[in-house]
Amino acid sequence: MSTPLLEVENIRRAFGGVHALDGVSLRVNQGEILCIIGPNGAGKTTLFNIISGVMRPSSGDVRFQGQSIVRWPPQRIAEAGIARTYQIARPFARLCVRDNVAVAALARERTLERARRAAQDVLESVGLASLADRPAGSLTLTQRKRLEVARALALRPKLLLLDEVMAGLTPTEIDAMAVFIEQLRERGIAAIGGVEHVMRVVMRISDRIAVLDFGKKIADGTPVEIADDPRVGEAYFGTQIDETGAGPSFPLKGRP
Amino acid sequence: MSGRALVISIIVVAVLAAVPPFLNGYARSLLYITVLYVALAYAWNVISGYAGYLSFGQVTFFGLGAYTTAIAVIRAHLPWWEGALLGGLVSAALAVPLGYLMLRLRGAFFALGMLGMAQTLQVVANSWQLTGGGSGLFLPPGSNALPVYYWTLVIGLLGFATTLFIDRSAFGLRLQALREDEQVASTLGVHVTTTKVWAFVISAIMPGLLGGGYAWYLTYVEPVSAFATRIDLQAVAMTILGGIGTLWGPLIGGVLMSQVSEILAAQYPQAYLMIFGGLVVVLLVLLPRGIAPAISAALERRRARAAQVQR
Ligand SMILES: Nc1ncnc2c1ncn2[C@@H]1O[C@H](COP(=O)(O)OP(=O)(O)OP(=O)(O)O)[C@@H](O)[C@H]1O
Ligand SMILES: [Mg+2]
Repeated sequence: MSTPLLEVENIRRAFGGVHALDGVSLRVNQGEILCIIGPNGAGKTTLFNIISGVMRPSSGDVRFQGQSIVRWPPQRIAEAGIARTYQIARPFARLCVRDNVAVAALARERTLERARRAAQDVLESVGLASLADRPAGSLTLTQRKRLEVARALALRPKLLLLDEVMAGLTPTEIDAMAVFIEQLRERGIAAIGGVEHVMRVVMRISDRIAVLDFGKKIADGTPVEIADDPRVGEAYFGTQIDETGAGPSFPLKGRP
Repeated sequence: MSGRALVISIIVVAVLAAVPPFLNGYARSLLYITVLYVALAYAWNVISGYAGYLSFGQVTFFGLGAYTTAIAVIRAHLPWWEGALLGGLVSAALAVPLGYLMLRLRGAFFALGMLGMAQTLQVVANSWQLTGGGSGLFLPPGSNALPVYYWTLVIGLLGFATTLFIDRSAFGLRLQALREDEQVASTLGVHVTTTKVWAFVISAIMPGLLGGGYAWYLTYVEPVSAFATRIDLQAVAMTILGGIGTLWGPLIGGVLMSQVSEILAAQYPQAYLMIFGGLVVVLLVLLPRGIAPAISAALERRRARAAQVQR
């Protein structure tokens, strides 16, 4: 078997006495969609922070295409092909929407003009093209979520880290985002999604699901395996697969 | 820049270049001081306006340039402008390590750190034999005004050209991105540290070059005036009034503030600082982002209305 695209090995990270991540290991293959589900405070965002290089783990390793990246600075990780979004959207508020995306496109394009053109194409693909000249600070929550994705895509990543990109969206918008994520697979882009709710969508779009709870991975498998897993199946999905998509919160007790 | 703005700019520059020989001493010195402050404002605008690192200590490099020039002229008998070039070089050389060190600090810590830097150099200048201690260094007197004026004008133009480049370049976009959110910029592939150190170096070279001219203009350097916080505050106020992080802000704010303060000082010698301060406050309440953005917005509205009429 070829080396996985991403290998997370035995990552630990504590904040004071809180073990946000307590020995988590994961693998993602090229073009694969992995969803990490877990309640509030399970450690999903901390994991994304460590993979994207904005936070160092207390111990453990992250390898991307076989190379350890755990000590790399964020810009180097971004250039290598890992892009991320932020759970709470963080647009460059005073820059226009196009320039927000062009910043990322500059990692690939040599001139600003070409970066702006590339940015416009990406904005087309996420449906923000008509807002390209608006200051990003004026976008609505939904539009900001899309901008997060657009900026990440403009890096032309091999791996996309999507931190709660569905949170706060309406069921229709969630469906649109789900279709969008499924299209990544066709483009050969792998994705890790961090998801608290919307189990229905997770079941549909994931190749694999990992369950995180209090910093520990308690299950990892295909959607069917996860649904059948005695530790998670009944407790998590018995009542979770609801039709609104904006389902009830996790039955596990998360951290406050 | 539009065609019309370019034509106006060329005319303004031509006038600024042609007029000084015909001015009396007072008008000439007023013009020199105006151009000097506009140039300093352009320098400050790069690190503080585009990169978002408010500095209250860029005068560090102004003083450094002034002293380097004085020492080069007195000890090495170099022509003053070679001394001033050296001042720019020394400033850049200091700015690289200082930038790596100081730009880890954010917000008020950076602003105060730079203020401390200027104070430190002032103390050094005050106590070092090479810099003449508290009485400073005296340069050979002569008719120094015109060459220094042109020197300053050229550096001011370079400051404008640099800002124009920054405003339209990938470098400038990266600077503005890190100003908005450094962490996000880094995860989008921006080499944050390198980019902001470059901005800091640009904001250091210019005061270094200008300080050399200033020393030659005054024919002396002494610690208090060379590292005066007042010089920084003036450049800061001008840029904020004109529009921080904009191409035209330093020019508009600079010209306006020097002229108004001069007129007020002549009319109301006692109360002028109070009136002046009050005016600045009122203007900033009315136009919180400064004058340049307000003008752009007005032009934009007019263009939009004109477009509507055509349809
Ligand atoms: N920078 C930090 N400083 C201190 N504690 C932190 C920090 N980041 C995360 N934590 C703690 O680590 C734990 C895991 O948080 P994390 O944000 O990774 O969870 P999450 O799964 O993303 O949850 P959410 O659903 O709220 O996004 C929580 O207890 C949180 O309070
Ligand atoms: Mg989170």
